[in-house]
Amino acid sequence: MVEERTIEKTEEKVVEIPKWRRVFDDYRAMSDEILRPDEPKKEKFLEAMKKSLSKQNWPFLLPYKLTLEACTKCGTCAEACSTYIGSGRKKIYSPVYRSDMLRKIYKKHFTLTGKLFGSLVGAKDPTEEDINALAEAVYRCTVCRRCALACPFGLDNGLITREARKIFADIGIVPDELKENGVENQLKYGSAPKVPYEAFMDILEFIKEDIEEEKGIEVEIPVDKKGAKYLIMNNAGDYLAFTETVQGIVEIMNYLGEDWTLNSPRTGVNDVVNYGLFYSDEDLVRVMKAHVETAKKLDVEYLVVGECGHAYDALAHFAKDLIPPEERPFKVISWMELLDQFIREKRLKLDKEKNPEPVTFHDSCKWGRTGGIYEEPRRILQAACKDFREMYPNREWNYCCGGGSGFAIMTKDDFLKFRMETYGKVKVEQLKQTGAKIVATICSNCKGQFRELINYYKLDMRFSGVSELVANALVYED
Amino acid sequence: MAGELAWFIANILPYITLAVMTLALVYNFVKWLVIPRPVVWALFPAKHNTVDILIGIVKKIFVLPGPRKVDISVWILAMLFHIGLIISLSFHAKYILLPSLGPVEYYLGAAAGIAAAIGTIGFFIRRIDMAKTKVDSTFADYFALILLMATLTIGAYLRIGGIMDHEHMWLWVRGILTLSPVDPPTHPIFLVHITLAQIYMMYLPFKTLIHPIAILFGQKVVLDERHIYPR
Ligand code: HEM
Ligand code: SF4
Ligand code: SF4
Repeated sequence: MVEERTIEKTEEKVVEIPKWRRVFDDYRAMSDEILRPDEPKKEKFLEAMKKSLSKQNWPFLLPYKLTLEACTKCGTCAEACSTYIGSGRKKIYSPVYRSDMLRKIYKKHFTLTGKLFGSLVGAKDPTEEDINALAEAVYRCTVCRRCALACPFGLDNGLITREARKIFADIGIVPDELKENGVENQLKYGSAPKVPYEAFMDILEFIKEDIEEEKGIEVEIPVDKKGAKYLIMNNAGDYLAFTETVQGIVEIMNYLGEDWTLNSPRTGVNDVVNYGLFYSDEDLVRVMKAHVETAKKLDVEYLVVGECGHAYDALAHFAKDLIPPEERPFKVISWMELLDQFIREKRLKLDKEKNPEPVTFHDSCKWGRTGGIYEEPRRILQAACKDFREMYPNREWNYCCGGGSGFAIMTKDDFLKFRMETYGKVKVEQLKQTGAKIVATICSNCKGQFRELINYYKLDMRFSGVSELVANALVYED
Repeated sequence: MAGELAWFIANILPYITLAVMTLALVYNFVKWLVIPRPVVWALFPAKHNTVDILIGIVKKIFVLPGPRKVDISVWILAMLFHIGLIISLSFHAKYILLPSLGPVEYYLGAAAGIAAAIGTIGFFIRRIDMAKTKVDSTFADYFALILLMATLTIGAYLRIGGIMDHEHMWLWVRGILTLSPVDPPTHPIFLVHITLAQIYMMYLPFKTLIHPIAILFGQKVVLDERHIYPR
């Protein structure tokens, strides 16, 4: 059901862009088919919310309830959030405003004071429109959790966003990019973009040819090799769009002569993403278990998470709380830790002059703030690039690129504009200040967002994975 | 009648206040304690032993690094308010033990009171401003601040006006503490002051005192990177 249509004229033809009824702000993240804005859903919502507040939700219950109950509304978190700042400080984008949309319902239906004193203590019975608005509002936050770092009490509005997304997912409201065309495809076909075995092998063949042509060396790309020491699992985006990264990994592993392998969709899942992390604990665990099964099938010693931030969060952190160790008989390590180790062991001869342009590094939220991988990529870039420059703020205080929590692949309606005009604005200022010509990052979602940002703001720079910069700096002894 | 009311406000209400406060505070603490341990979703750099986590929490409490980094106005107001409050309360406590104030204490006490007042008024104005730009505060949020401002203002008036007979006040406080109440001072403004103060104290655990408890749990969650299964 399309309520409103705008006609935009381009040079060649008239293009019709569907615009759905606005329920929260000037954008829509989800289509009408998904959001079903005219269908009553309050009762189902409250039911799902009740479940989210029960012991069943033990993994997040404490920080969830704490944030709902203990927020003093001091507003500190707002000044940490780049959606809010980038939007020109619009109230509706402040972290505490968004959480308060859920908090009002919480107070009304799940607390005694709310039932007794109502709006005096901030309780409100939601209308159907309030529920629609909340469903969209939780897709205006990238769950970057910079606000949680800033909150004096450690309260976590990012976590509230995720909890609310979980409630909506429970009643069937999830962006199709994440669920139907994300998790479900990945579990069925081995990768979210449904890359068949043959196409996957073709991609690797292209990669091999490219390296051999460019560098005049021969490389092997082991696939589905059982018992290998390292299984490097990449984000499907790196196979399809940011191939240079996989190319870099292949070149480095060949240079080292390491015992390693990539895996094809035939072994289970070969796309390291886990979109479940963005909206549902059940789907998070389903995908995590599929990754674990794949690594077990290949009987590898290490599952190496390639350049994908949220996958690291899932496999290196959540797996350690949600899957007992005997069910995952391999170690999880990030490609950055491994590459850093190779460089520190002086096994890679690198010539910085081969990367003469100024390079800056973007700490992806999932690698940095929630992953703790700060120094490895810096050491690597300093070893491989002549002019490495910090971006400010950096490390735990870095701003999200705006592609987090699934946004990098969400472009419905004019959602891309939202991405560009809020977080994007803040990020672009930060990038410009570095004077760098290359922004290096180790997350496929960030790369997707940088691609759009550079295009949208016509920036005189390019983005790159870290692997290709290292591969580019490799010195081959004759 | 008036005498009975004064007796109730000055010699019975304090025990009720104390009971309500204690029970509510214990409840507020235990409530969080019994929620199952969550999964680790720490913010790095995080810590992996209890001592480091405790040091981390203490730093967060005394340095308030978040507000200092992103919103200095919250940091300044919180520092003024809490330091003012701590000094002021400790002088109250000392006064109960030794009912005299030296000149240094006198001026320091006054400065602390002013700092706390600036903090309180600042937070009040901030809330009004935030309703336009960040989030709506509830009546309950404003009520906490209004009660506090009223209590502080009347307290300051009592002191500046030299209204109270300190000897008498001291005997009354001693009486309550030793469970042998004596006739309280009956100046009506004094009675209003202690009534408000006690309402505020009973209200505290339900509103204002949630945050000093929450900070322990909230910061622990984001500082702790010890997984259920370490491997
Ligand atoms: C663990 C120690 C504590 C920390 C870290 C802390 C921190 C803070 C911070 C950051 C604020 C500003 C947030 C806001 O606007 O509400 C604040 C406000 C306040 N705090 Fe504390 N606090 C602590 C203990 C206390 C205690 C023991 C009291 C006792 C009365 C207190 C009373 C207040 C009041 C009245 C406000 C102003 C609240 C308002 O704006 O409504 N705090 N505190
Ligand atoms: S910083 Fe924390 S306490 Fe302050 S408004 Fe945000 S979530 Fe609430
Ligand atoms: S998690 Fe990030 S995007 Fe979401 S409210 Fe917090 S700072 Fe803003």
